[in-house]
Amino acid sequence: MKQVISQFMLSWRQIAIVALLSCSSAQADEYADVSQLVRAGKSSEALNRADQYLATQPKDPQMRFIKGVILRDTGKTNEAIATFTKLTEDYPELPEPYNNLAVLYAGQSQFDKARNALEMAIRTNPSYSTAHENLGDIYAKLASQAYNKALQLDNTNQAVPPKLALIREIFSTSLAKAPRPAATATGNTTAPTTVASAKPPASVAPTPLPTPPVAAPAPKPVVTAPVVPTPAPTPPVVSPPTATTADGAAVANVEAAVAAWARAWSARDVKAYLASYGKDFDTPGSMSRKAWEEERQQRIASKASITVKVDKLSVSINGTHAVAKFLQDYKAGGLAVSSHKTLDFTKVGDHWQIVKETVGN
Amino acid sequence: MPRSATLPWLTLALLLTLQTHGFAKVNPSAARVNATVPPTAAENGMAEARLLEVYHLMANGRGREALALAAGVVRDHPNFQLAQLVYGDLLAARIRPVRTLGDVPAELATAGANALGELREESQKRVRSLREPPRAGTIPSQFLEIPQKTRHAIAVDASRSRLYLFENRPTGLVLIADYYTSVGKAGVSKTQQGDQRTPLGVYYITSNVNPRSLTDFYGPGALPINYPNMLDAKRGKTGSGIWLHGTPREQFSRPPQASDGCLVMANPDLVHIIQTVEVGSTPVVIAPQLQWVDPHSAKTESKPFDETLQAWRTAKVAGNLDRVMSFYTQDFNSYGKTLAQWSGVLRGELARAQGHDIELKDVSMLRWTDSADTMVVTFGEVLLGQRTGWTKRQYWTRQSGQWKIFFEGTL
Repeated sequence: MKQVISQFMLSWRQIAIVALLSCSSAQADEYADVSQLVRAGKSSEALNRADQYLATQPKDPQMRFIKGVILRDTGKTNEAIATFTKLTEDYPELPEPYNNLAVLYAGQSQFDKARNALEMAIRTNPSYSTAHENLGDIYAKLASQAYNKALQLDNTNQAVPPKLALIREIFSTSLAKAPRPAATATGNTTAPTTVASAKPPASVAPTPLPTPPVAAPAPKPVVTAPVVPTPAPTPPVVSPPTATTADGAAVANVEAAVAAWARAWSARDVKAYLASYGKDFDTPGSMSRKAWEEERQQRIASKASITVKVDKLSVSINGTHAVAKFLQDYKAGGLAVSSHKTLDFTKVGDHWQIVKETVGN
Repeated sequence: MPRSATLPWLTLALLLTLQTHGFAKVNPSAARVNATVPPTAAENGMAEARLLEVYHLMANGRGREALALAAGVVRDHPNFQLAQLVYGDLLAARIRPVRTLGDVPAELATAGANALGELREESQKRVRSLREPPRAGTIPSQFLEIPQKTRHAIAVDASRSRLYLFENRPTGLVLIADYYTSVGKAGVSKTQQGDQRTPLGVYYITSNVNPRSLTDFYGPGALPINYPNMLDAKRGKTGSGIWLHGTPREQFSRPPQASDGCLVMANPDLVHIIQTVEVGSTPVVIAPQLQWVDPHSAKTESKPFDETLQAWRTAKVAGNLDRVMSFYTQDFNSYGKTLAQWSGVLRGELARAQGHDIELKDVSMLRWTDSADTMVVTFGEVLLGQRTGWTKRQYWTRQSGQWKIFFEGTL
């Protein structure tokens, strides 16, 4: 029991630290104050304080999350579940509320719900899914090795290492949370590519992942400390109208090109999708155009459905060059990713063609 | 023992938690050992205790801790197949439900069907022995009387694949350790050479085999026992070379039924026994199932026999050859001597004693009951006023309520 308590303390400390690191000092003070009250055992005061804050900032995910944790700590399980559920609806890209939902469901022996919640947590970021699948492959391989040693079987497969999926790009949700220049990762949002781990492409950068929640089908899966990393505060969006130098018609044409690109992608019309990219398109990593096209073809065709929505689009024109920045909502299967995207266009004849695709701000 | 056919794994694990007795908490770092280093007695029983702690954690739903602990066990003992199996299950449980001990993929289950069955049986034997330990303070019913001169005693319960090691303290026998042990491939009750069975009966450790004369198959040493003993010989049993020995490098332990009749133990356990017990005086009882009794009831049990033994002594002191001869069976045999030849030996003994009192020192009484009732008695026979005498061993049998000697000889 002592251990459990100390874990809670730890979690509060972590919340406070994260809050301090990532928020304005006023916000941080609020989070720290509430956490301090909880540490002092003043749960109801902490709750009041959180509610006061939420009265002025009803959307603030960090404080809502903290409130959920307080509710959970004070045994108000159903209210805690409601709080975290609402958070998952408002901020589906955050894994932490899903994780804590899983904790609560597991506490009620609702293991299927707990599992679903954890799976959703993993799906908030394709990198988590990949890491999770890779972890699963490693577990499977280790289990197989142990079994072979147990049964003293001469398994020739033993020497073959598992093929793990390499993440070729940093996904935007992690980037949005990290103070990292967007230029470190280029390319479009794709599912990870399976390649032999022996040859990592140069474009791979270390991904600043928060610890992915581990989905364990063991009866009591979770004792995870409820930690909330910086929820992307209100997404900073460049929304002022297009640059004054821009020719209105050119802007409209680029906007149309972006729309057509998203439409082709959503329709899984690979031909039209690839046609959006110019000959000089800067393929990610050191990929050849052919390899890149094949990969895109495979990625897009393998999905049952894809939805790509473009939001808060802004276009700047500089002669025959244009830059389109927008918020991309990508959904495929169970995967939903919201990311900032930049498409660089060059005008060839009457057409605006994509020459560079960048994830992040 | 209650058993579930469908969920033996879970059942065992759960039952474990219901036990009130706790396993010795093991500090994994203390048990840590490089696998290439020869086993030391200090680690005896440790690997099993750690494995059982893994089970305990699993039964409590503490899968992650169980996995970490199991990883430590297989790191220290990569040749501990049962631990590898459990480790595999715990790893697999991270990605899929594990329904049974050794929930291996179908192709492995087919390829390793025998090994899998044996490991499950080994697990069950180990768990059961630890879950149902003998009641504190009780001793196997065979140990009627163990003199202070005998420092240790060993008893094997074949049904549990378990060897119990006792220390003989001034207060009596105290169980100081117990270990998993394998018996013959064909089980127990050896009758003839090559039947791959482990003998049942009351034996003594006869020697300590020089490890350098052994191949890796026997591990770090061996302690032969005196099979066939005089009862076995009388019954026409054949065979020889029944040892307590260790395991080859690639196996930490062997399946419950694995040997050609020997008792096979994990090397650290065997080394501890070799370093603990005395050659010659340490009895080894091998029973299909041990009966654990209160030491006082053993004393009571031995009383009628003790009276018979004293009557034999008195007859000898009285120097009455006919009366002494009445204590021996018709089929008596002493290293080949018949009853008639033995009467000559006795006559000589009585003549030398010349009516002096005889003292029976350090009397050991081991009772073996199967289709017959047998008493194996060892003592020093010393004439009063003399410093030394002979160490004698007698095998008595109960015939229509009367104890009679069918073997007697000096050691």
